[in-house]
Amino acid sequence: MMQIALAGNPNTGKSSLFNILTGSYEYVGNWTGVTIEKKVGLLKNKQGYLIDLPGIYSVNPLSKDEGVTANFLLNESFNLILNVVDASQLERNLNLSIQLLEFGKPMVIGLNMVDVANQQGMSIDINKLSGLLGVPVSPVVARTGKGVDELLHRVMGEDSGPAFPFKIDYGYKIEDAIDVLSRKLPEGLKANRRWLAIQFFEGNEVVASYLKKYVEESWLQDLYRKTEQGVSQQTGSQLLPQAIRQRRAEVIEGILGQAVTQTKDNNQTFSDRIDRIVTNRFLGIPIFLAFMYVTFKLTFEWLGNPLSGLLDSFISGPLTDWVTAFLNQVHATEFIRACIVDGIIAGVGGVLVFVPQIFILFFIISFIEDSGYMARIATVMDKVMEGIGLNGKAFIPMIIGFGCNVPGVMAARSIERPNERLLTILLTPLMSCSARLPVYVLFAGAFFTSNQGLVIFSLYLLGIVVALLIAKLFSSTILKQEGGSMFVVELPPYRIPQWQTLARSTWEKGKGFLRKAGTFIFGGSILIWLLSYTGPGGVNVPMNDSFLAVIGGVIAPLFHPLGFGTWQAGASLITGFAAKEVIVSTMAIIYSVPDSGLSGVLMGQYTALQAYSFMAFILLYIPCLATVGVIRKETNSSKWTWFSMGYAFLTAYIISIIIYQGGKLIGLV
Amino acid sequence: MNLTQISIGDKVRITNLSSMNQLVRRRLIDLGIMEGTVIQIKKTLPFGGPYTIEACGQRIAIRKKEAEQIWVEAA
Repeated sequence: MMQIALAGNPNTGKSSLFNILTGSYEYVGNWTGVTIEKKVGLLKNKQGYLIDLPGIYSVNPLSKDEGVTANFLLNESFNLILNVVDASQLERNLNLSIQLLEFGKPMVIGLNMVDVANQQGMSIDINKLSGLLGVPVSPVVARTGKGVDELLHRVMGEDSGPAFPFKIDYGYKIEDAIDVLSRKLPEGLKANRRWLAIQFFEGNEVVASYLKKYVEESWLQDLYRKTEQGVSQQTGSQLLPQAIRQRRAEVIEGILGQAVTQTKDNNQTFSDRIDRIVTNRFLGIPIFLAFMYVTFKLTFEWLGNPLSGLLDSFISGPLTDWVTAFLNQVHATEFIRACIVDGIIAGVGGVLVFVPQIFILFFIISFIEDSGYMARIATVMDKVMEGIGLNGKAFIPMIIGFGCNVPGVMAARSIERPNERLLTILLTPLMSCSARLPVYVLFAGAFFTSNQGLVIFSLYLLGIVVALLIAKLFSSTILKQEGGSMFVVELPPYRIPQWQTLARSTWEKGKGFLRKAGTFIFGGSILIWLLSYTGPGGVNVPMNDSFLAVIGGVIAPLFHPLGFGTWQAGASLITGFAAKEVIVSTMAIIYSVPDSGLSGVLMGQYTALQAYSFMAFILLYIPCLATVGVIRKETNSSKWTWFSMGYAFLTAYIISIIIYQGGKLIGLV
Repeated sequence: MNLTQISIGDKVRITNLSSMNQLVRRRLIDLGIMEGTVIQIKKTLPFGGPYTIEACGQRIAIRKKEAEQIWVEAA
């Protein structure tokens, strides 16, 4: 079986290409030493495995995570590199391509976004480019899948080495040093010795520590220093890595000069015009907030709720009737009837009715990602984020976290500095994910009918404000970033997202929610129903004598100061750890009413103030089980995982007590 | 002069990056922005917010304090 490594710059369409070439993941695991997930997929023709390497600008890593590629090249065995190259940013992409070519393995270049390059007036002579680099170059449009078959064909046919070994003359000082180092290395290393030497002189720490296994450290340092001195005498005040990059840039310029013709000026007037408004000096932040507000209006009031209402009346009306009628027809026992109608339909149905809101939210997040607005938000927010010890990029995981905290936590990888990244991971669960939405919609719908959108918006805002305050606290105490934070972000040109792409990425995000409804929530509903149906006194006991009431009752006193010290609230908070939507399922089962009647029942149980305190608590109290799992994976530390749960619970408790006791003080009920 | 001392839209050549934060410099070099590269400022944000620069056909935002460490000359 062929092992193919997929490598390329960030945002080159690598993931799209991976999905098209493989159809689905074969397995997901961790890279050794770092906590980035390793995606390996079986090619659609079943003749090879595709290994997805993280997006990088250079083999020379800036952070531990970016070291994955260098480690992979040094330690893993594979047959071929598939290098995805963004045709519209050829100059920068070729830097990585050349580093990979210097490694000397067979390689095929998938030249993506040729359409974008054409729009920008670049005409690329593919045969010429392929000839100059010595490897096959195959144009593709990963977004639509055009050219993918041809690319796959090229990949499968390419098992011999490159047509000629790609070699750059780095100038005699560096070339001499490369020779000296190569000769010092033993025979039979997996990696090419010239490549090792070049990477070492470029300052690649992964390669440096690899070389230390074979060569004396002081000797290496000595060689590096002498070479750098020689180079700076020869070329002026230059650092060695910069001299190498500079030489490569000259070579790339030469290649582009031969293979690319610029037919018209690449002026980004469209992007400039949009940027003049959305990143306007003073309107930038207000526009962003207005955009978010419209998002919530659309999700909850204008579009989401009407659709959700339709679904709800179908599930609690005709569907329940049909199922009941069917069960009567087949003479199902009372136990089965209760399990299906009161457990599964109430529990799963109670959550499924929120599919419209969740999909609308994911759709808008996909739009922000695809259009290029995301990077602008990071830029606009950087000054605020710097004030709390983070950088603008930390805002991206938080926005994604509004959809679901799990990909939000994963998105923190784009942050280079370790403590900034850890802090972002800890804060992302405070962003109100779509699973928390059902709880708000239920409670806000019951208690704040006329201001539903505003009340829900206030909870999202509460999450952000708490996150900012905690960021400030942690970044100036336990998570100080040595050497300050760092902010460099690329602003891609705006593009109008295609419906097809938006639909696909909305579905990719939203299907997890549906799957959860079919598995977690389905199983959870049955379990919760069973706990409510049975009790110390036997089966079919009154709800107040059930096991659920016993369990909920134990922790209820803890929540008395917060305004919701009932066993029902206690029980739903416990089940809510599995997934926040389950809180709604639990309540639907506990109060044993169809979802539409639930708000009426709740109004008899809580006051508006208690309801708000409860919602705020749900917002903050603990990351859900799936998020805890991904925090463990991303931080690689059980200490920080426990911390993420503990501090959230404490924060929630304090905030809710302030809301409830403070509210009572000023005369709210 | 440094990058914050030029006007928006003026094209300048980078002469020295050695006083920059090492990590930021490394990332800029990855992106092809190094001594000798011609760049211009596209945009600045208020209250000392980030500078958007254009170089090699790409837009990149960096902080003002980093822009102050990019030494340039008229191109």
